[in-house]
Amino acid sequence: MSGTNKSQPADPMPDSLIQIRNLTKSFTKGQSVITPLDSLSLEVSRGEFLALMGPSGSGKTTLLNLIAGIDTASSGELLVDSQNLGSLSRARLTKWRSLNVGYIFQLYHLVPILSAFENVELPLLLQPLTRSERRAQVEAALDLVGLSDRIHHRPAELSGGQEQRVAIARAIVHDPKLLVADEPTGDLDGESASSILELLRSLSRDHQKTIVMVTHDPRAAAVADRSLHLEKGQLVNTAG
Amino acid sequence: MLSLALKNIFRYRLRSSLTMAGVATGMFLFTTVETMQQSLARVTRSEADDTTLIVYRENRFCPSTSRLPEYYLSSIEKIEGVRRVIPIQIAVNNCGASLDVITFRGVPPENLLKYNPDLEVVDGSFKNWTSRSDAALVGQTFAQRRNLQTGDQFEAVGVNVYVAGIIKSNEAQDNNVAYVHLPFLQQASKVGLGTVTQFNVKVESAELLDAVATKIDTTFRSDSQPTVTRPEKAFFAETAKQMIELIGFTHWLGLGAVAAVLGLVANAVLLIVRGRIKETAVLQTLGFSRFRIACLITCEGLLLGLLGGAVGVVSAILFLHWQSFTLGNEGLTLAITPSITVLFNGLLVALILGFTASLYPAWRASRQPLVESLNTG
Repeated sequence: MSGTNKSQPADPMPDSLIQIRNLTKSFTKGQSVITPLDSLSLEVSRGEFLALMGPSGSGKTTLLNLIAGIDTASSGELLVDSQNLGSLSRARLTKWRSLNVGYIFQLYHLVPILSAFENVELPLLLQPLTRSERRAQVEAALDLVGLSDRIHHRPAELSGGQEQRVAIARAIVHDPKLLVADEPTGDLDGESASSILELLRSLSRDHQKTIVMVTHDPRAAAVADRSLHLEKGQLVNTAG
Repeated sequence: MLSLALKNIFRYRLRSSLTMAGVATGMFLFTTVETMQQSLARVTRSEADDTTLIVYRENRFCPSTSRLPEYYLSSIEKIEGVRRVIPIQIAVNNCGASLDVITFRGVPPENLLKYNPDLEVVDGSFKNWTSRSDAALVGQTFAQRRNLQTGDQFEAVGVNVYVAGIIKSNEAQDNNVAYVHLPFLQQASKVGLGTVTQFNVKVESAELLDAVATKIDTTFRSDSQPTVTRPEKAFFAETAKQMIELIGFTHWLGLGAVAAVLGLVANAVLLIVRGRIKETAVLQTLGFSRFRIACLITCEGLLLGLLGGAVGVVSAILFLHWQSFTLGNEGLTLAITPSITVLFNGLLVALILGFTASLYPAWRASRQPLVESLNTG
């Protein structure tokens, strides 16, 4: 496991899922060029639980979005499971995302008119599955997050912690290799946050999911295998 | 996808209901106009199996001014190709375009069923009609419009009649008139015995229409009352010009209604898109392609158009069916009768409108930048 900054690409780790080399993201705003991510290199092992920390504007969410394939880099190389994301067209990147990534948002972002079951089912609508296959997978995912008894509840009928569990079930229902979480406990009380972190921990430990989590909370970062600190688009230190 | 679109529509019940009510109103107007256009087309468009000619007084358009000697009958009957002729005296309350025209047709009672075997007496009896000189067989639509029943007595155009029966026919004109005895009407309307308004002539085949018409007009060219003979539908088209122009104008109203529906649905779908920027971005994050997002929005537009359209089209058809509107002009009546074609056309137009109106919003939704949209408030 390694994190480097403005350095030569590290030797590929024997079983790394994510390989980032000299990744830069910049865009123009008005007259000025903003570079939220500046020539960053990083590798993440399969099954690793990585926490990204740093102040607001440090580039952690930008990095997360690039890893998740919802944003594209300005330069550099980003490989996830040997797939160079920079080489994919928008349509293929969307398809790749639907198969390989589960995204967990800070504010859950469940569709309010859909039940827990229907929300979790959404990613499966993109897969060539029968209704019964979808049902089985959704029930398994909701069971895994401990919400089998809330299957027909709508988001408004769930607590914040339960909503985030549904969001996690939605992120894992299609069995992606990679889970990305943007401050998944940022909107939860202490007890719910601990329970969500424990759930993420078990997904990494027991189900070999690779997790990249952005957080401001040192207690959340402590649950991860490794924490990286970003400042001004660069990694400033690593802590195991 | 369809289920998600349906749920999204019912998510904002008030907004969707108002949009659908607007669509329904527009499509109600469109269907009414379309029904008028089609009803007019039915009575004016010539068809291959048309075999009826109308003999009218030359240069006359209103029944009150077309006066032909009844004795022309025997001359017309002798013309080769003529199968049957019936002299008709017509009395109307209004020669101009009117929504409530009352038309009496005086015919020889013994000839009515021979000439028009399709007439069906649905209430009362034909015998009852033949046995009373002041009896009338009232068309179903006319009876419904005027709330007439067998046994009633009613007076119009200075003619007082007894309702001997209610009739229905495949010919819309027959459903909108009251058949009375010819001598009775000639006297009651003061034109006098021996004078009729027109002759309806059935010829042996459609190919003979022109030849027979020419022969009839040639026969009476030098007579004191020259004639002009035209196929029934052409006669309608030429005589009821005022009404046709009026209905032609309504075409623009129909187009206006369609444009209003288009704008309404487009606006509603744009509001839907604008209100769900973040949700759309979340779907894209989950892997929904631009095409799927566009399909979802288009589905919502289609459903709004179709559901609102169905309400409007069906209500218009039921309304027109129950109200039995009849437009009259120059003694001719046009029943505004909805048809299954109008129903399907209306639903198809609603579907196309829903689709067209949602194209731009769907394009907008599918093109919104993902990361920025996730960060919207």
